[in-house]
Amino acid sequence: MLIQYIPTLYVLVLLPVVVGAIGYFLPRRMYQGVLLVFGLVMIAISAAVFYEVRVMGEVVEQVAGWGDSISISLRADELSAPLVLMTSVLFFLFFVFNSRAPYMDNTFQYLFMTLQCALLGMFLSGDLFNVYVIMEVGMLAVSILIMYKKEKQSVYDGMMYLMINFLAMAFMLLGIGYLYRITGVLDFIGMHNKIAQINDPRALVLPYALIMTAIALKAALFPLFSWLPRAHGAPSAPSIISATLSGVQVKVGVYLLIRMQWVFSPVIDASVFFAVLGFVTAVIGFLLAVSQKDIKLILAYHTVSQVGLIVLGLNGGTDYAFWGGMYHIINHAMFKGLLFLTAGVIIDQYGTRNYSQIRGVFRRMPWIGIAGFAGVLGITGTPLFNGSISKYLIQNGLQGNLAEIGMFIVNLGTVLSFVKYSTMFFGKAPDEVKPLKDPYINGVSMLIGLGCLAGGIFGAQAVQLLYGQSYNLSGTLGAEKLIMFAITLALGIALYFGVVKRIGGFLQRIRDNKLNYNQVALLITVFFAFLTTYLYITV
Amino acid sequence: MEWLNSSHLSLGLFFVGLYGVITQRNVIKTIISINIMDASAILFLITANLQPGSVPPIAGGDPARMADPVPQALMITAIVIGVSVTAMCLALFIRVAHRYGSSDWEKIVHRVDD
Repeated sequence: MLIQYIPTLYVLVLLPVVVGAIGYFLPRRMYQGVLLVFGLVMIAISAAVFYEVRVMGEVVEQVAGWGDSISISLRADELSAPLVLMTSVLFFLFFVFNSRAPYMDNTFQYLFMTLQCALLGMFLSGDLFNVYVIMEVGMLAVSILIMYKKEKQSVYDGMMYLMINFLAMAFMLLGIGYLYRITGVLDFIGMHNKIAQINDPRALVLPYALIMTAIALKAALFPLFSWLPRAHGAPSAPSIISATLSGVQVKVGVYLLIRMQWVFSPVIDASVFFAVLGFVTAVIGFLLAVSQKDIKLILAYHTVSQVGLIVLGLNGGTDYAFWGGMYHIINHAMFKGLLFLTAGVIIDQYGTRNYSQIRGVFRRMPWIGIAGFAGVLGITGTPLFNGSISKYLIQNGLQGNLAEIGMFIVNLGTVLSFVKYSTMFFGKAPDEVKPLKDPYINGVSMLIGLGCLAGGIFGAQAVQLLYGQSYNLSGTLGAEKLIMFAITLALGIALYFGVVKRIGGFLQRIRDNKLNYNQVALLITVFFAFLTTYLYITV
Repeated sequence: MEWLNSSHLSLGLFFVGLYGVITQRNVIKTIISINIMDASAILFLITANLQPGSVPPIAGGDPARMADPVPQALMITAIVIGVSVTAMCLALFIRVAHRYGSSDWEKIVHRVDD
């Protein structure tokens, strides 16, 4: 096959930034056209790599043909190949979605390509130091992109994002240093093998804690998520950037969490810690989401909650929960991307971000309304939509212990915050709001919405296709599940109108409670100290 | 003085920097503190597994006595990254300082949402 003759993985990582740089000097329209075609090429290459991984197993490429764990390698395996495919497809769709946006100038498009390169690089790199470098590159691109529309507080949001992540990366660099001193290699597999031979597990506590602090911050786990809503819900962030960040970029943290846990797995197993942390993150995330008024912030805090759910699934300890978590990564990218895209359109058309001033989206913009509502159905785990499949798998994997009650609480919270979000779809729209007639926006939204539905109806096939795991998922439509969902929905609606609407003053106080930079740094330190102590006790 | 080796020194520097990040409310001072942390991590990596009496890994020397070249090559990258991120932070800080008229995190956070 083609893959044997050209270094496909290198092409996949480098091509976006090379094409972006060469085409930068073309006129804007032409540049956009080139990048559109290029997006299709990227999907084709990613699909080829994905196919190769599915059929032949891992694809590895070493620089200059040096041996294992000496050279810098790129690696696509069953964990990263689906994520690479997802990234390429979503970037293309977001690009099409945005074709008519006024701020799509050459610089924006170039930075968007850099972000794609960085994300693919992080998924494909087999080398920890490379991951560090690419993370920093992505961090710079993101901090510029989230202030791109230059609205009032944009620079502050960008600076907070950059400096919080810079601090976390200093932790990561020191952790890499420790790991290099102990193992003498930087390759994931090389480190894994060396760590297996280590007699004194306590020597690994400090590097583990340092690296995991940085990764937990990237994955926005409790209590390190305070940068996420600022970045993802920033007023100046174009909606495709919010969608990319929430859909794809935050998954890098989750992916690295799995990778690094695997690297350390012969000696340190902190999956209980991360499962509990995931649950706490999920609960705090939806509590904060419910208290927001700004629709983009509702979605941003909800990303925190969903990442918590994913981490809970991945650390649940069973195959069911693990693959449920993996499938939920893809699903969350789809519906959260869709929700951010439609929310951006709604904000532009209504001229407000406050959920209580937006009414009648269904009547004024039926396509956007239907697509956005499909996203809501997906994220709440409505039967027939993709969220229900992954949540069913996670729930099944956690069966018989406390975590199952936890799942119910998280589900209830999701429904609760999206009852609040959905109120804007109904009712009568103000007259000054114009209907939207942009075929790209409507088309892409509907396409992703249909994707959410397809991911639910063909759930078993999708899991089989993406991860090669076959599960019997007929239970998702069983009477028990339907009744459970109806109870959750009814309880969510009752709680929203009975409780949430009456405690406005309390919610206002939660919203006003903003952390400054020193407090964020303190939280990072506390997390690091707690993790270190926990590991010293358990290892 | 056996305990005073470069790895303990860089670890100490790292926490000095961290202390600065937590306690200093001045934006410039926090940027300096993060740079101290970054520099300490670089120092740590450069001196990791360093044997006494080793020579720099430059062509012409005795290969048997050369220091491990990998961390040195990597740290050039890390230094460049550190410099560019710091430059970006400072550039953003100028914009923030002009807009909100302060370089105090606590004051800025209160002026942001008004």
